[in-house]
Amino acid sequence: MSPGAPVVELKDVGRTFSAGDVSVPALTGASLTVNRGDYLAVVGPSGSGKSTMLNLIGLLDRPTHGSYLFEGIDTSYLEEGQRAGLRSRRIGFVFQSFHLLAHRTVIENVMLSTIYNGMPRADRVPAAETALIRVGLSRRMDFMPTRLSGGERQRVAIARALVTRPALLLADEPTGNLDSATGGAMLDLFDELRADGLTLMVVTHDSQVSTHAERAVHLRDGRIVEST
Amino acid sequence: MTDLVVPQGVAEVAPTRMSPRDLAAEAVAGIFARPGRTVLTVLGTVLGIGALVATLGVANTAGNQIVGRFDELAATSVVVTNEQGFFGGGGDVRASIPIDAETRLLRLNGVAAAGSMGPVDVGAALVRSVPIPDPLAQTEFQLSVYGGSPGLLEAVRGELSTGRWFDWGHTDRADRVAILGTGAAQRLNVTRVDQQPVVFIGDDAFVVIGILDEVQRQPELLNAVLIPEGTARDMYGYQSASTVQIDVEIGAASLIAEQAPVALSPDEPTLLRVQKPPEPEDLRRDVEGDVNALFLLLGGVSLLVGAIGIANVTLVSVLERVGEIGLRRALGAARRHVAGQFLMESTAMGLVGGIIGASLGVLVVVAISAARTWTPVLDPAVPLLAPLIGALTGLVAGLYPALRAAALEPVEALRSG
Repeated sequence: MSPGAPVVELKDVGRTFSAGDVSVPALTGASLTVNRGDYLAVVGPSGSGKSTMLNLIGLLDRPTHGSYLFEGIDTSYLEEGQRAGLRSRRIGFVFQSFHLLAHRTVIENVMLSTIYNGMPRADRVPAAETALIRVGLSRRMDFMPTRLSGGERQRVAIARALVTRPALLLADEPTGNLDSATGGAMLDLFDELRADGLTLMVVTHDSQVSTHAERAVHLRDGRIVEST
Repeated sequence: MTDLVVPQGVAEVAPTRMSPRDLAAEAVAGIFARPGRTVLTVLGTVLGIGALVATLGVANTAGNQIVGRFDELAATSVVVTNEQGFFGGGGDVRASIPIDAETRLLRLNGVAAAGSMGPVDVGAALVRSVPIPDPLAQTEFQLSVYGGSPGLLEAVRGELSTGRWFDWGHTDRADRVAILGTGAAQRLNVTRVDQQPVVFIGDDAFVVIGILDEVQRQPELLNAVLIPEGTARDMYGYQSASTVQIDVEIGAASLIAEQAPVALSPDEPTLLRVQKPPEPEDLRRDVEGDVNALFLLLGGVSLLVGAIGIANVTLVSVLERVGEIGLRRALGAARRHVAGQFLMESTAMGLVGGIIGASLGVLVVVAISAARTWTPVLDPAVPLLAPLIGALTGLVAGLYPALRAAALEPVEALRSG
């Protein structure tokens, strides 16, 4: 990973899904550069290829065309295990439906990301505590997720994404399951994280989000129609 | 060809890794996430393994018990009888058991005690204990009369309630003494011998010197009047004993059964018939075989049901935790980590089921043994291997669900969860 390289660099990337004889292009000719410290919103109606783009950038899926460089590394040459390794160390995910484990405490949920990236056992609890303090949940560490409000749950998920100190935070509709006040607070938190130097990429159809982001990429029918 | 040139930095990207300890911790946490369901799932394996262990243990115990019984009585008993002249016709063909049968047999190594006996033909004579006919009660009885040798008491493992057995002196002198079996004594109303009561066989008087209380072999003696063989020969023309009872040492039965006819009748040993106990090893194998075949099948079926139960629940758990699987993949878990976690969960459930099942099985064996006052016998390998078999069952049962979990695409998994 060369230090000066952009975090994400898509060059004419496409993804075509094929089921039997039918092939459906979900994303075509996408070129995009996300630099360190950027705050980017990916906006578009459902079915426009937002999730496909997010999965490609998050290394959960491989493009069928073009090349994708993550921190200067051409990801098409990576083995499956190396891609998982990058996910565990360099990328943090936040999902619309939080995906917290209901039977684990808040701090255990946050520590879940540390077991796959080789963080030494002794460092895990301090790292998880730091992340939870950062998102403002220092008093909820031993709670079960079922006792938390939606906004608090999403904060736990953000803490889980932050605990490994990733280069990129990918959020998929982070405010989709929250009321507008809580969603607003979430966006304020993103602003703070951005100010700390984190690179943020948020997929949303919520116009409120795109006003917070400094850049917005608009998708329609699998193509980037507008990039600001 | 340019594809072969790997760009800079690619080789340095470390693959994801997970320590075995973390894998085990995740598996354990997965099991305890739904304790109630885990208990029910494990139940199938518990029953299967328990049935297997209990079956093997009970078969083992029962087999051993049967051998133990034979050891005690039957395995030490050899009986020699002389065939009545059934095919030969005439008394000449009949081998006779010599009067010193006992002495001859005691010379054989392995004979603990020996005694000969045979029915005495007293004609139509009845037995009574009072010389005068009583008009009000029955005083005369038709009782069998047996001739017996001095060693017979020990050979049939008999016990006298009172008095004594006869000795060589009685038989050599043809003394008119008798011993009553407990049944005969009751009928004749003889309960003690210290005043030398007399019984009459026909008109011949015999002094009762003892009462036979109990025998473990030849129970017909209990209802008979016993007189020394010498006396029987002298008075009733008793020719030869019909039966020789030999008490052998444990393990000597087969040998003595071979040697006894030759010792008793060296010229015509084949005319004597020998009853010997069945070989204990064969017997035990038969019993264990019968019990095992049936119940092992039952145990196997319950184990199979247990395995299907684990497979089913693990599969349900995989389908339920699709979101969790997707999350773990996003957090950097490789497919093998996901598969490993589910395999470990099912294996651990099988192992726990195996341990509990083996313990219950051992308890069942002990309980059955206690109820029957048997000695519990169990091959130590059985309860030690049982948990391993349980774990193996869990492993096999978890294979398909684990592969299903590993095959899930994280993208779809995250969306559906």
